Amino acid sequence: MERSGSDMHTMPGRIHGIIREWISPGSRVLDLGCGDGSLLKDLALTRQVQGIGVEISRDMIVRCLAKGISVYQADIDHGLSQWDDGSFDYVILNATLQVIHRPHEIIREMLRVGKKAVISVSNFGFVRNRVRVLFDGRISRDTRLSGSWHDTPVIRFVSLSEFIRSLREMDVETMDARYFLPMGKVSSRRTMLDNLLVKEAVFLLERSS
Amino acid sequence: MNGRTIVEPRTLHIDRPFRLDSGDTINGLDIAYEVYGELNGSRDNAVLIEHALSGSAHAAFYHRDDPKPGWWDVMIGPGKAFDTNRYCVICSNVLAGCNGTSGPASKNPATGLPYGLAFPPVTVRDMVEVQRLLLAHLGLDHVRCIAGGSMGGMQAMQFFTDYPTLFDSFICIASTMRHSAQQIAFNEVGRRAIMADPRWNGGGYYGIVPPEGGLSVARMIGHITYISEKMMQEKFGRLRKGKDDRAVFRPSFEVEHYLDYQGIAFVRRFDANSYLYITSAIDNFDLVSSISSSGRFRGEGRARGRGMDRIGEKTGLVIAFSSDWLYPAHQSRDIVRFYSGLGVRVSYAEILTDHGHDAFLTDVRDQTLMIQSFLDSLGA
Repeated sequence: MERSGSDMHTMPGRIHGIIREWISPGSRVLDLGCGDGSLLKDLALTRQVQGIGVEISRDMIVRCLAKGISVYQADIDHGLSQWDDGSFDYVILNATLQVIHRPHEIIREMLRVGKKAVISVSNFGFVRNRVRVLFDGRISRDTRLSGSWHDTPVIRFVSLSEFIRSLREMDVETMDARYFLPMGKVSSRRTMLDNLLVKEAVFLLERSS
Repeated sequence: MNGRTIVEPRTLHIDRPFRLDSGDTINGLDIAYEVYGELNGSRDNAVLIEHALSGSAHAAFYHRDDPKPGWWDVMIGPGKAFDTNRYCVICSNVLAGCNGTSGPASKNPATGLPYGLAFPPVTVRDMVEVQRLLLAHLGLDHVRCIAGGSMGGMQAMQFFTDYPTLFDSFICIASTMRHSAQQIAFNEVGRRAIMADPRWNGGGYYGIVPPEGGLSVARMIGHITYISEKMMQEKFGRLRKGKDDRAVFRPSFEVEHYLDYQGIAFVRRFDANSYLYITSAIDNFDLVSSISSSGRFRGEGRARGRGMDRIGEKTGLVIAFSSDWLYPAHQSRDIVRFYSGLGVRVSYAEILTDHGHDAFLTDVRDQTLMIQSFLDSLGA
């Protein structure tokens, strides 16, 4: 069997691991901003999901095709009108929220076409980010999607507490969540000062009924 | 690049009557085809290529004494998108065509004269049934991939959907499941241009002078729709050719000369009646209704639709071009939607280009990357 490609010691690898736990076997999964398709490949091998990735980049499309991952070239900001209501069990937005122009609309769309949504959030309120802005005076930073302020695809900086407030405003229910704390700790519950201490979080969401 | 590889044109002759969708039959059907690359020991590396409106069985390599290679030679060959070192690539000329497969210019065995309009009307489904005879002749009951652009995409979809057990996958480029009013309208203007030419003579011009004027106008209209406004502007703008403007209404703009050249080049190699038959077939093509209607078993189609329950094991790749206004990208997205609904694992790519519909013949690099990756993943 092919290796999943997600290294469990890195943040992306650990997030893949959490998502894998949440996805029930044989589900239909839509992965928005699927990159090279490694999460979908992992889920196909370990959870036998029927997955489709959405990507805007030609090079990523080619890499997905080479992996045998179904991929759909589109700009997520144009919406998910291609898909009918409830056509997926899960819609994933992993390491992609930062590049979305209208995040609320995408989250609503995710919960329209999917029964559940998985979203990972990089917390801008994390202490190290605050310190960097305080001393360095710069908003943009070196990330996986790095670039200067004017050309980085990262246009949305959101803190954990702001994101959670958004979910409440949109009547979105959090079914499960994982919060990445310092020293490699992961909590499934919110903790004191989490807006300061959480580096990254990943949510399993559904519409409030 | 290596030197010229020669390919031999081949013809399969069918003795038994061939039944069409319409209920008519063709006796003594000829099927022109070519093969590039070799079939492997397990006979599972065949790839079927479907040509577009004006194409032929000569998709790649060279004919003896012909300086020009086949119409998709940029995509078919060693190391190319359809790698002939790995795949056995097969292409045949469509029914009602004029490049070796039976069509209106062929001799009607009942009269010994060219059919003309006595040739029965054909459908895209008839075109693929002809190829089923070819596959049977070649001893192939399994094809790795069926691929085509434009009208070739229509045939690929029809064949794949009628006989899902025959194919692992399909690739459909710059095509549609049914023509829009605009697409029908352009074809109708082309047909009218041919039929308005007095030399057309009700289709009975063989052995006399063909309706070259009408056919070349039809081709000129086609060429306007095949490229984008931007490309046409960049290529020609308002440039003029020659200084002598005294002759009134003589072509003087570069774009006029270009269309004139395309028209003249086309009448040398294409039959006007074939143009009528084939454009009608693609105007009448409607994939969704063809597989759901009661007529699905007509003609040669007793086995059509068998194995639909296994279509979920199949994969597809749909490619559109950003500046293609003849077969716009939304039609390709509809294709993806339709096949996803059937459970086929379909991928969609939209190639950014200024080349319009013709990009499927010219934008080699992006198509090659995608098709190679897609075909590679099939073996895995």
